[in-house]
Amino acid sequence: MNLMKIKRILIANRGEIAVRIMKTAHLMKIETVAVRTVVEPNAMYLATADVIFDNTEDISEIPVFLNIEKLIAIALETNANAIHPGYGFLAENAYFAQKCIDNSLIFIGPSPDAIYKMGNKTIARKIALASGIPMAMGSEGNITNEEEAVVIAEKIGYPVIIKAASGGGGRGMRIVRKSDEMEKMFIIASKEAEKAFNDPSVFVEKYIENPKHIEFQILGDTKGNVIHLGERECSIQRKHQKLLEEAPSSALDEKLRKKMGDMAVQIAKAVDYHSAGTVEFLLDNDKNFYFMEMNTRIQVEHPVTEVITGLDLIEQQIRIANGEELRFKQSDIKLKGWAIECRINAEDVQAGFAPDPGKIESLNMPTGPYIRVDTGVQAGSSIVASYDSMIAKLIVRGKDRKEAIKNCKMALDKVWIKGTKTTLPFFRMLVRHQKFQDGTFTTSFIEKDLEKYYFNSEYEEMLAAWLATKLFVEENLNDNSINVNFEHGKVMSPWLLNKRINQF
Amino acid sequence: MDLSGKYYKAFNDRQSAIEKQYSPKQAEKQHSKGKLTAHERINLLFDNSTFEEIDAFVTPADQPVEFGKVERSYGDGVIVGHGKVNGRLVFAYAQDFTIMGGSLGIVHAKKIAKIQEMALKMGSPIIALIDSGGARIQEGVASLSGYAAIFQNIIHSSGIIPQISVIMGPAAGGAVYSPALTDFVFMVNHTSYMFVTGPNVVKEVLNEDVSFEGLGGAEVHARKSGVAHMIYDDEENTILALKKFLSYLPSNNVENPPVVADDGSINEINEKLRDIIPEDPNKAYDVKDVITQIVDRNSLFETSELFGGSLVTGFARLNGKTIGVVANQPKVLAGVLDIDSSTKGARFIRFCDAFNIPVITFEDVPGFLPGVDQEHAGIIRHGAKLLFAYSEATVPKITIILRKAYGGAFIVMNSKNLGGDFSFAWPSAEIAVMGPDGAVAILYRKELAESKNPVDLKKELVKKYRDKIANPFIADESGYIDEVIDPAVTRKKILSALNALNNKWVKVPARKHGNMPL
Amino acid sequence: MGNEKLQIKKLYALSSENRKYSFSLPLKHTIRIGKREYEVKLKADEKYGTYILWKNRKYPVEIVRSSQNKYEILFNDISYTFTIETPFSLQRMKVLNSTRGKIEKEIIKAPMPGKIIDVLVREGSVVLRGEPLVILEAMKMQNEIISPVHGTIVKVLAKPNTNVMKDDLLVEIKL
Repeated sequence: MNLMKIKRILIANRGEIAVRIMKTAHLMKIETVAVRTVVEPNAMYLATADVIFDNTEDISEIPVFLNIEKLIAIALETNANAIHPGYGFLAENAYFAQKCIDNSLIFIGPSPDAIYKMGNKTIARKIALASGIPMAMGSEGNITNEEEAVVIAEKIGYPVIIKAASGGGGRGMRIVRKSDEMEKMFIIASKEAEKAFNDPSVFVEKYIENPKHIEFQILGDTKGNVIHLGERECSIQRKHQKLLEEAPSSALDEKLRKKMGDMAVQIAKAVDYHSAGTVEFLLDNDKNFYFMEMNTRIQVEHPVTEVITGLDLIEQQIRIANGEELRFKQSDIKLKGWAIECRINAEDVQAGFAPDPGKIESLNMPTGPYIRVDTGVQAGSSIVASYDSMIAKLIVRGKDRKEAIKNCKMALDKVWIKGTKTTLPFFRMLVRHQKFQDGTFTTSFIEKDLEKYYFNSEYEEMLAAWLATKLFVEENLNDNSINVNFEHGKVMSPWLLNKRINQF
Repeated sequence: MDLSGKYYKAFNDRQSAIEKQYSPKQAEKQHSKGKLTAHERINLLFDNSTFEEIDAFVTPADQPVEFGKVERSYGDGVIVGHGKVNGRLVFAYAQDFTIMGGSLGIVHAKKIAKIQEMALKMGSPIIALIDSGGARIQEGVASLSGYAAIFQNIIHSSGIIPQISVIMGPAAGGAVYSPALTDFVFMVNHTSYMFVTGPNVVKEVLNEDVSFEGLGGAEVHARKSGVAHMIYDDEENTILALKKFLSYLPSNNVENPPVVADDGSINEINEKLRDIIPEDPNKAYDVKDVITQIVDRNSLFETSELFGGSLVTGFARLNGKTIGVVANQPKVLAGVLDIDSSTKGARFIRFCDAFNIPVITFEDVPGFLPGVDQEHAGIIRHGAKLLFAYSEATVPKITIILRKAYGGAFIVMNSKNLGGDFSFAWPSAEIAVMGPDGAVAILYRKELAESKNPVDLKKELVKKYRDKIANPFIADESGYIDEVIDPAVTRKKILSALNALNNKWVKVPARKHGNMPL
Repeated sequence: MGNEKLQIKKLYALSSENRKYSFSLPLKHTIRIGKREYEVKLKADEKYGTYILWKNRKYPVEIVRSSQNKYEILFNDISYTFTIETPFSLQRMKVLNSTRGKIEKEIIKAPMPGKIIDVLVREGSVVLRGEPLVILEAMKMQNEIISPVHGTIVKVLAKPNTNVMKDDLLVEIKL
């Protein structure tokens, strides 16, 4: 057995993923360091850390989890010899990864080089092209003006999509359907990209209509072994924010899975990828797939892959970072059963999924053999506006998709959250929707196929109406004003009565 | 009872005549405008079968000159009487729009004056349900003198018995001053109007087009002019609210307010209060969240909710006893005192003072609203009203400083040296002459100008200022406040303070009256 | 003129989509579905907070806000807005709606100069009186500009991170 070099990990993150990483670290007998911030001084992730670094004096508006110098300093001060960035924040920041290495800290993730190459979409496209990965047609590199964009669009045919080179998460993206829209959209996308990523570069590619979002989980070690752990389908998204993910995908058969998986491994190998990563594809109606991007970090939706493969991806990340060789080959990976993950966020579905921060007053998550819950909050925690709005990930298993959906439906009814509005009503609707059940949905499902964003049973509104009426009756009709004791107002001490009467 | 005897013939005839007068047809006419009839309003207001009408059979005065048509009717367009509201004696008059448009003739006016005088003699609240076209033109100056008598009665009763007006139809011209003189004005949305000169005259004189509602509707008076204290969307809700409102008020200025059994659902120690004030001192919160966590459950009845919103005023209960609440509202204009909120607060405090209702102040005020607008419109004069009202009030006065208490506004908001009885502060309080940014800019102007890194220096100085000056502990240690308390025990502290102040009496020097800066 | 005639015997809960639920008074703690009456219970405890128990299932409830006869209820994570009407007020509403033909709008202006921090509504959103529309930073404080009326947003002129002068138009609401 390899000697574990990693003794103490600084978790450069918060919330659910911090809890998740610490759980595995604990099992591996590795100590963890968590950072207490002024925004969430009593957050749940602090409870499971071995060492807490108190950073509540820092009242800067930029979260500490984005402050490279500070994080390195914290790691050094707390004697951590490794850093896990989680997802978001600095997880895909090549400079941060390099800084860790420079300070002799083990960065639990891929090499700075791989992060940089995959983080820049133009470079990533070039690499993918060179490796023979199918891709949507598009510009060879960044384009600098709308005329150039029009020329390319004419060549590949409308609709096209303008994307930010350094982008992600839907920002800096614009779909163009006609040449006369190009100028406006180009400027908007470029401005948005500059604002969001500090880089106005954009490129153009063919826009795939109504695709499915299929991504492959990759694991690679530092010895050059790269395998994939099957796919996840994340087509249920709203404005490029994923809401529900499942593994495997009903759109793939063994043949297509192998083909896409091989491609995913190929592109990862092209950048000498190690650690966990995700290669994202779009799959069109005719089962053509196109490389979209590679995410060089652990994903929010990693649990569905863990459920069907039986692997602990955080453990694999740590082992790889430790320099260990993968203990299994591609042929050892067997996908078993079906898993669905619902991202239960503090959002107001009725107000267009607007964040609804607030204090979680009560939280009861279901338990059972087919249920896994990853959360970073408990009753009394606050969902703060400065971070994401996630409350919990509800991961449900079944022997097949049908059973997973059935279990999911039951589990959703057992989730009890009070204090903020949540995306639960959306999921309750989703699991009942025909299109979801038969698996024919695409990324445009929410925009196109949904009439209503939430589910309520026939009688729920009536019960709410009853409650409103009851409150009205209590407040107005048999209000306690009926029991007003007016005589009491006439009773007072002789001293005061005398003074009051003789005042005039 | 057999009423067929000869003595009863005339009695029966009159009885059936009046029943005919208030026919379903008449009611239908009123209903078609979305309004209830005067009788329906009275019945809704008073407890079952307790209303006793007087002067039901008086008839309009004879006209010396024949001009226009006067309907011969019983009651002359107004119902007056007394009855029980939630078991307590209350006097009321209700104008009947179905009879000569509810216009005020001399007989009509005399009926009102009579019931006003009775209410004053008995020391009981009086309610005016107003739905009237105005002075009866046919009766000329007699009708005007009728108004004058009504006004005089209101002024005589002011501060002795609670007087409440409910506008349920038009109130125009001189008639508007009757509600304006009373303590509180309720209005019904869309069907009630108040203005001194109507849209037609406005059009003629100023050539401005304005609708009845736009000129003097309930919304306008609730939000812009401040004339209406409470508005509701329909008459039933208006009257239900009025009944509830009455339950906070004593019958007169010698009595204490009524007491309600407290359901005990608010704990004396309430930890939720610790979390309401945001960490960031520049962030707003809703002061009503603080109030509702302290007072008895569901007991806050806000007055003038839509006017001068940066100050919340209203009645509430503590252990079943009525209190008046005055609170800066950080959610609206950061809780600054402006002209509207100052006058609103002043009038509310004076009412509480007149009727023995203790005033509890929740303070979070950054100062007075600056600006040419406010200065030119007389914020000095209007702010002085609030100062005057606080200082003049002799009822128990308790202040809880929640957060900001800066400068002149700190003095005005019931500071201890202005006669406040108890002054508590939460640990989040900042008591100082001005806010940190302003203070640092003045005291360290030179240093900041010369500094290479003024932003960091300012940050440091602000922190120092908060530590050294803008906190509650210095005021506490020097006796300018009584105690810095844990927010969770606020209710308990107020209750024991009120208990101590139960028999408070302040000897005021004899005078005709003070001269408030009106 | 019998007094009893005017006692309120029935109440209607009118939803924001104009669905009407009627309840007779005194209010029963049961709801009839078909021929059967099912008991409804409003309960509260430490673990679950406030909830309604109906047909053996707990539903989380919360009273989000109430003003006068308007109630916003959060029931099983979905908000519902009701106005409680009496038979007469319902009739009155019909009368007024038929006579008041023209659509009125409310224009929200900046009450003081400052910087728009956030715009909380979009065109088409339904707002209740008292709901925040825009956050305006002035006097170093973040002020919520709240809706004075119930209505639908028709125009949003305020943009985040822009400075406004006093009386600049921010939002237009259709009543």
